[in-house]
Amino acid sequence: MSQTGPFIRVTTVSAPLKGSFPLDHEGTCKLEMLNYMVCLHEKKQQNSECRHVAKDYFECRMNHGLMDKEEWQKLGYGDSKQISQ
Amino acid sequence: MSLSKLWGTARACCSVFHVTKAPFSSIASFQKRGKVLSVQIVRQFSKKPSRIDKSADTKNYTYYVMSLVIVAIGCTFAAIPAYRIFCEQTSFGGLTQVAKDFEKISNMKKCEDRLIRVQFNSDVPSSMRWEFKPQQHEIYVHPGETALAFYTARNPTDKPIIGISSYNLTPFQAAYYFNKIQCFCFEEQILNPGEQVDLPVFFYIDPDYVNDPALEYLDSILLSYTFFEAKSGLKLPDPFDPKNRPSIAPSPDKIPEATK
Repeated sequence: MSQTGPFIRVTTVSAPLKGSFPLDHEGTCKLEMLNYMVCLHEKKQQNSECRHVAKDYFECRMNHGLMDKEEWQKLGYGDSKQISQ
Repeated sequence: MSLSKLWGTARACCSVFHVTKAPFSSIASFQKRGKVLSVQIVRQFSKKPSRIDKSADTKNYTYYVMSLVIVAIGCTFAAIPAYRIFCEQTSFGGLTQVAKDFEKISNMKKCEDRLIRVQFNSDVPSSMRWEFKPQQHEIYVHPGETALAFYTARNPTDKPIIGISSYNLTPFQAAYYFNKIQCFCFEEQILNPGEQVDLPVFFYIDPDYVNDPALEYLDSILLSYTFFEAKSGLKLPDPFDPKNRPSIAPSPDKIPEATK
């Protein structure tokens, strides 16, 4: 399965940067998730078109304490105008 | 040819060529020099090796050969840390992976010319009774852009089940550039009976993906998640602990205690 050799890149398992998402048991952000899925379906699975909807999802998560608040710049949304605290 | 003979020949040659200091020699003097040189060389080779010479020569030979052997052995021992240092400096073996910090995410630029298709796959072992599947089959993402994807899990049974997931990425060369900002892996997630949750994966592909020559024609990555059932109270070793790396060297806690 894994190759070894002098010029093979060794891939080590690494932790996700912000850890794990807390589970959304009550489904508080389900609406935003469905919006995102609909957008993906409409735009033929293109991520670039639906990034603003994903941002809404993250905002929902942050507002309900399901995600650590982070500046949008640090999440790759540097070109957005609003800044979350 | 013994060493002393070699040395004698060399000295004879040098002495013959340094005898005349005339800036421009004529042909006659060249011929004379040649004759003298040949006489000297013949004299050196006709010398019978003396006993003292032979033992000194063999001793010299032994010293030379032994020193070569020691140098070779030293090189084999030194190669291991030297290779590790080389790998760390040039990040050749993937030891210093892409820097995973927020600064990099803030500053990275989207690469417009490459569109990577990330496909999603889900697996559960047969004993695990969760229903686990991705919400989208694939997503087209540019390197340098953060992306969000969803999985759903449902617990159809009447008992709460704790799951823990692991992921896998193929092909391996592309997996090097796949970085996750936040996901739901490697931590216990509990699902109550009849509950359904959305599991998001927030990731990005490193912009250096476009600079890798091995990945020039590779535009498809497969992300595969597997959910295993976890027994409650089970303390798993942390896979990200740097002390928990697999190694051949025996560690103190693995050696069985003889005195008990």
